[in-house]
Amino acid sequence: MGEEGLLDVNDGNFESEILNASKPVLVDFWAPWCGPCKAIAPVFKELQEAYGDEIIFARCNVDQSPNTPTKYGIRAIPTLILFKDGKVLDQVVGAVPKSQIEEFAKKAL
Amino acid sequence: MSAGLYDVAIIGCGPAGLQAAIHVCGKKAKVVVFGKPERSGLYKAHVANYCCFEKVVSGKELLQAGRVQAENLGAVFIPLDVIETRIENDQFHLVIENNESFSSRTLVLTMGITRKKLKVKGEKEFVGRGVSYCVDCDAAFYKGKDVVIVGNESAAVTGALTLSRFANEVYLVCRELEVSNALYEQLQSSSVKIIKDAWVKEIVGNSEVEEVVLTNGKTLAGNGIFIELGAKGAMELAANLGVAFDTDTFSFIETNKSQETNIPGLYAAGDITGKPWQIAKAVGEGCVAGLNAAQYAKRLSKS
Ligand SMILES: Cc1cc2nc3c(=O)[nH]c(=O)nc-3n(C[C@H](O)[C@H](O)[C@H](O)COP(=O)(O)OP(=O)(O)OC[C@H]3O[C@@H](n4cnc5c(N)ncnc54)[C@H](O)[C@@H]3O)c2cc1C
Repeated sequence: MGEEGLLDVNDGNFESEILNASKPVLVDFWAPWCGPCKAIAPVFKELQEAYGDEIIFARCNVDQSPNTPTKYGIRAIPTLILFKDGKVLDQVVGAVPKSQIEEFAKKAL
Repeated sequence: MSAGLYDVAIIGCGPAGLQAAIHVCGKKAKVVVFGKPERSGLYKAHVANYCCFEKVVSGKELLQAGRVQAENLGAVFIPLDVIETRIENDQFHLVIENNESFSSRTLVLTMGITRKKLKVKGEKEFVGRGVSYCVDCDAAFYKGKDVVIVGNESAAVTGALTLSRFANEVYLVCRELEVSNALYEQLQSSSVKIIKDAWVKEIVGNSEVEEVVLTNGKTLAGNGIFIELGAKGAMELAANLGVAFDTDTFSFIETNKSQETNIPGLYAAGDITGKPWQIAKAVGEGCVAGLNAAQYAKRLSKS
């Protein structure tokens, strides 16, 4: 666990934590040098506080885990990917409005 | 001129930045202002609704007058773009497009707003699948690939240089480059291929970007296109410092009534903080930001 309530995932544990999770998982692919990633981080945390019982909120640092983003064809960050039953349900790219991120997260419910 | 520590650094020389500078000088603090007047939203405007100017005035004249006024009070103007911001040891460090560095106790962001989207066919469809708006975020995903970058100003040129450290071929598409000589020379001695007098007409691909069609009839094969119009803006120069944005749009910097952001010593004013996009609001906020930044810097210098 990284920041409280947010699950830190990496190339090593991605499969066990995300693909085999019992609940839907929303993964934020980010990097420390990425401005827009920093900008949306508070929104991600707010949504975790609101929907944390139903959805697992996870973060993957693409700098430290280069293989996972490649596997999912990620070419821009921030990218949020929603996983359900081990499969990609949807994804959203960039610092999009909070309402849009919330709508996106609710697709898992 | 760049030597030493400024009390206040202001990024942007539109009405917000100018008014901030004037009020900083009024507090007898040392201030440096960055930016190109001709890039201000006001430069091409004819203004009829600004208090105390009964007749229509040209925005260009207002900007020139504001600059002379601030200069006479002691403000230092550097007509170049800022390309990098950092906070270290409670000081702000700025790098400008000729690679000079500046340090200050406080920072006021008045970069205004600029168009970031190209508005061409294929742009929206391929966001995240080859279309990117942030070289600093996404360059590493293009190791060994061919990429296109489009833009005429410092964001595009510094972006092209960054990409050239990762990508195989980098094509910089521009109408005409408007950057400092130093940055231009750096570009010319790099591996970036410059395509002038052209613009992007369409972005083409299947599941991801494959080609970029130009207005000069040529087509460039590439795996990605970076859209970097204008100078670096709020997302590029403020978000990395941890500055909070409005979560409704992520386009504007959040401030309180003292024009403070969530970062101590960091202020924002003018169009960059949201609507209404008006001179009156810009100068009002600029005044408040300038006064508070100067005061904050003075307190720091005494402690
Ligand atoms: C065509 C037009 C007509 C208008 N008419 C009116 C009117 O009649 N009345 C009215 O009240 N308002 C009008 N406006 C709006 C008004 O111009 C803006 O509200 C005002 O200019 C905002 O001031 P600002 O200082 O916040 O930003 P701007 O004036 O846009 O200035 C931004 C400054 O930041 C600089 N900058 C940006 N990025 C960087 C960087 N990386 N490094 C260094 N510098 C940087 C730019 O060079 C520029 O100097 C008009 C705007 C337009 C475009």
